[in-house]
Amino acid sequence: MMWRLISGHALHFRSWNDEFVVYNSLSGDTHLLGSAAAHVLLKLQQAPADAAVLAEFLAPALQPGFDGDFVLEIEHLLVDLNRLALVELS
Amino acid sequence: MKVSALSFQELGIRLKKGGIFLRTGSFVTHLQTSISSVADGIGLLYADYPLVEHAGFADFHVSLASPRTLRRWFKPQVLFLFDGKPAFKPLPLDQAFPTFEWGLNWCVSSHANRYLIIHAAVVERGGYAAILPAPPGSGKSTLCAALVCRGWRLLSDELALVRVSDGKIIPLPRPVSLKNESIDIIQRYEPDAVFSRKVSDTMKGTVAHMKAPSDSIAYATEPARAAWVIFPKYQAGAATRLEALPQSRAFMRVADNAFNYSLLGVRGFETMAGLIDASLCYDFSYSVLDEAIETFAALKPPVP
Repeated sequence: MMWRLISGHALHFRSWNDEFVVYNSLSGDTHLLGSAAAHVLLKLQQAPADAAVLAEFLAPALQPGFDGDFVLEIEHLLVDLNRLALVELS
Repeated sequence: MKVSALSFQELGIRLKKGGIFLRTGSFVTHLQTSISSVADGIGLLYADYPLVEHAGFADFHVSLASPRTLRRWFKPQVLFLFDGKPAFKPLPLDQAFPTFEWGLNWCVSSHANRYLIIHAAVVERGGYAAILPAPPGSGKSTLCAALVCRGWRLLSDELALVRVSDGKIIPLPRPVSLKNESIDIIQRYEPDAVFSRKVSDTMKGTVAHMKAPSDSIAYATEPARAAWVIFPKYQAGAATRLEALPQSRAFMRVADNAFNYSLLGVRGFETMAGLIDASLCYDFSYSVLDEAIETFAALKPPVP
């Protein structure tokens, strides 16, 4: 499954330490996100991708913080971001 | 000319006839009323504020009047009028002066969208501002009153105005609103402070307003730079404790306490982010005012 940022969204990021605040200028919502979720969004800003591609890209930075199947963790993260109306299936 | 240049009688006449143009920080309010308790409150608490003579412009045109209904004979009321129209439901006439204060807060928070407006007290020392956002009941105004009685400059007791263009904090020094037991606490803490009379049975309980220090009014056009965002929490018997707060968490909590963050869109986000970038953020619990003052005196500004 390929994921992308919901079309029309312009996301604005600010980070302090390991946490990100993300502003969605389309919905007007502001989200407090952890490093993994923010990096997924930043990667999807460049191009749509599936969980496996995202996992491969993000693993060097993020994998030490995850247990078990990293691709599965990224899939769960994408579902959560979909619930926040930040990403959608491409 | 300051309000104090007018005798109480002259002030009352001016308020009744054409009204006065009162400067509070960067705002000019055209106020008209024939209600004597409002004139008394203005004469007492706004004595040091400049009057704008021959003004053709005012940010806010407000008046306080008694509705001319039959009810006025047995339960007189007051109406706060903005541009000639009632902004709120009428309140008991005894609450006329607090109604003026609440109404003026409403004017600013509803219309001054060139600023990011946060429900917070702001005090300043050495050019650095401490922003104290907090929901009602957190002890924000009590702490703010104590700080300004001990040398901090009052920027605002209620509305932190962050200029969108450069992130500076714009002063709006007006009387500090205290309620219930906080009134007696501050009257004991600073016996020389000037207070309006207590008004009971308001929507906030018993309220009284403390006059802003003259120096704070004199420097009402000098902005300050944000240095600290501190969430105060009064808890009876609590130890004085200042705990660092992650800036991202502080961002979300300050946004929750902002009036127009959403309205400003991405400019609100960027302004808020700039404010948080510039600030050290803390949770602060206290129960003893002297200890709270000591803690604030020891605050160090952020390293640039």
